Amino acid sequence: MTGLVPSGIDEIGLQPGSHVCAFYRGDTDRDRLLSGYLGAGLTAGDKCICVVDSANTAERLESMPGACGEPGPYTGQLDIHLPESTYLAGGEFTTSDMLTFWTEGMVKAEVEGYSFCRLVGEMTWALRDAPGVEHLVGYESELNRVTARYPVVVLCLYDLDRFSGEVVVNIVKTHPQVLIQGILVENPYYLGPDEFLRSARPVPASPRSASA
Amino acid sequence: MTAEQTRNTAAGDGAPVVRLPRRPDRPAEPDLRERLGEFRALLVISLLMTESVNEEQILELAASSAPGLGSWRIEGYGFTDGQWRPGTGHNPAAPRGLTGQLARLGSAGGPVDLPGCPWAQAYPLRGVGGLLGHLVASCDEEPPAEQRFLIQVIAQQTGVAVSNARLHARERATAAELAATNAALAETVTTLQRSMDIHQRLTRVAVSGEGQPGIARALHELTGMPVAIEDRYGNLTAWAGPGQPDPYPKESFAKREHVLRRLMRATSPTRDGERLILLASPRTDVMGVLALIDPGRRADSADLVALEHGATVLAMELARLRGIADAELRLRRDLVHDLLAGTDDESALTRGEALDYDLRRPHRVVIVEGKGRARAHDALLSAVRRAMRQARQDGLFETWSGNVAVITAGQTDWEQLRRAVMSDLGGQVRLGVGGAAARPSDLPRSLREAGLALRLQKTLLPGDSACEYPKLGIFRMLAAIPDLTDVDSFVREWLGSLLDYDARRKAELVHTLTQYLEHGGNYDATAAELSVHKSTLKYRLQRIRELTGLELNDPDVHFNLQLATRAWGTLQALRDER
Repeated sequence: MTGLVPSGIDEIGLQPGSHVCAFYRGDTDRDRLLSGYLGAGLTAGDKCICVVDSANTAERLESMPGACGEPGPYTGQLDIHLPESTYLAGGEFTTSDMLTFWTEGMVKAEVEGYSFCRLVGEMTWALRDAPGVEHLVGYESELNRVTARYPVVVLCLYDLDRFSGEVVVNIVKTHPQVLIQGILVENPYYLGPDEFLRSARPVPASPRSASA
Repeated sequence: MTAEQTRNTAAGDGAPVVRLPRRPDRPAEPDLRERLGEFRALLVISLLMTESVNEEQILELAASSAPGLGSWRIEGYGFTDGQWRPGTGHNPAAPRGLTGQLARLGSAGGPVDLPGCPWAQAYPLRGVGGLLGHLVASCDEEPPAEQRFLIQVIAQQTGVAVSNARLHARERATAAELAATNAALAETVTTLQRSMDIHQRLTRVAVSGEGQPGIARALHELTGMPVAIEDRYGNLTAWAGPGQPDPYPKESFAKREHVLRRLMRATSPTRDGERLILLASPRTDVMGVLALIDPGRRADSADLVALEHGATVLAMELARLRGIADAELRLRRDLVHDLLAGTDDESALTRGEALDYDLRRPHRVVIVEGKGRARAHDALLSAVRRAMRQARQDGLFETWSGNVAVITAGQTDWEQLRRAVMSDLGGQVRLGVGGAAARPSDLPRSLREAGLALRLQKTLLPGDSACEYPKLGIFRMLAAIPDLTDVDSFVREWLGSLLDYDARRKAELVHTLTQYLEHGGNYDATAAELSVHKSTLKYRLQRIRELTGLELNDPDVHFNLQLATRAWGTLQALRDER
């Protein structure tokens, strides 16, 4: 696929292979981004895979037009997952396991006949006190390597009310595109995974109030 | 200029300064990419700070973003009002001596001494209105120029964002104040509007002549509660709304008087059980009570305003009604006086029509005299009115020479009427009825006849029974004789010796003889009428025989004496009249 893909958010178009970090404030803003992004994907016939941080959010997404099947892997056009079975499967976060999860999802979608994938992750799971969450920024950097190889767009959702400024800075530094207040900020100077991992230290994704 | 030179060379005088980083030696590409990435991140942080309207959020975002931009940190923020806000994870209290150092630095910023910090610098936080305070940054060693430039930009953006947030907070406060003012104004307007509605509705009632039912209806519509209007005695005069009691409860006289006294002292509606009541009293002798039936005690201030306004309109209505009644009463009195004194028919008929009273029918005059408790004129007048009303007789009433004169077209059992008045008042009541007058101008004659009947009744007839002039027979004939000289001679001829005796001794021999003859010579009835013992009566009759030398049992003597006593009574009555 070439050309811009409609994101479903504020009439913003995305290049296939885009890995966009979207900042929002509060649940209402999150739901607006989720429903716009997934709604556009379902309408376009894309395979949609999303990881949300609460069962309530998952239930709401199930009622979206075009969604089918129960929450769980590989059931219908829209797959809805929770962190316990994805980011924090096995009780800890592992970059490689998560990259494998996404990769397998995209391969499976291709086998099922989907020509394009739309991935989204609600990143507040990283605020939990779980092993490996300090590798969040490194994971985001590594994800760029994966998305570059597939017909896919990826949206990572960060709640500004909960993540610290340091996480925001590092996320911007590692993402080629940042969506904020309806503006897509391009960062042509983003650090690729090798550069970032060479220079960076692990950044705990602790909540704003405790991010020292 | 060197790399550390300022864009504004007036830095020395405290003017705003933007320090540019020293031009570095050509950096390696990865380093350059990282610097440019940091600027992008800074741009995003600036966007987020600008978007936020929460000052705490802005300061925390700036402080927490520092570790992502370099090895420096933000110790906190010192504001011009002396407040200190610590950076993320720092001690809440300002480092000792820092506040004074910041005050001395002013808007320029500069190095500060912080315990345990090899390098510390204060950067001005500037807002729209000028200096807000300083951002204090620290590092284990002096950061390179690029890093110091980032701190300066963070400080600049933080200042602008905080300034905007404060402006926004002020605007919100102003908007909230305006909203509160608008709400208060709207409430005032609503209250005024309702007051105006109340005023207009009740004013409309006042001028439309809907009377007390209209007032009650309007007040019920305005308040949604049942409304009662009572007279001063507690009688219901109007009701509007559901639940009208039947029969309407009436308080005892004592309780009613107590309530009225309480209402007279009150200046606003008073609660009386389930009712809110207010007195409408345009003058001391006119009273009405307006009551809002409010068992749930849900009447609000607007309802009270409506009740007070309603009481004012009711007072106006009561004053109007009393004024009409007074005027009609005066007109009736004037007419009665003129009719009794003598007036022309045309004028009398016209005035009667104006009072909605038909004088074209034959009328007669009735005089009612009271004695004892029945002597009070007003009480006697009221009692006669009531008795006439009970007898279903209409008429015109007025006090006349200490008695009550009635002009009526009715013909009733006058004795029964007299008894009704007496039963009402107690005491002694006499009643004289004149002959019918075909025209109003004949009424003085009827009056004279009524008066004559009353006097003859007192003088000649037994008891206090009503005396009708048309039924007086011989008395009526005697009273009609224009020249009474022969009648007088006749009386002197038969009664002269007795009259002289009575005059000399202040005795009552003529009256005794009269009653004896009128009672057909019955000793018992005569003694009872005269209120004397039978032996006294016999003694008086013996004296009469001795003085006159007449035999009372002689039929001829009997006839002439009876005629003489009746003529004497008639003459007495006619003389009293004159």
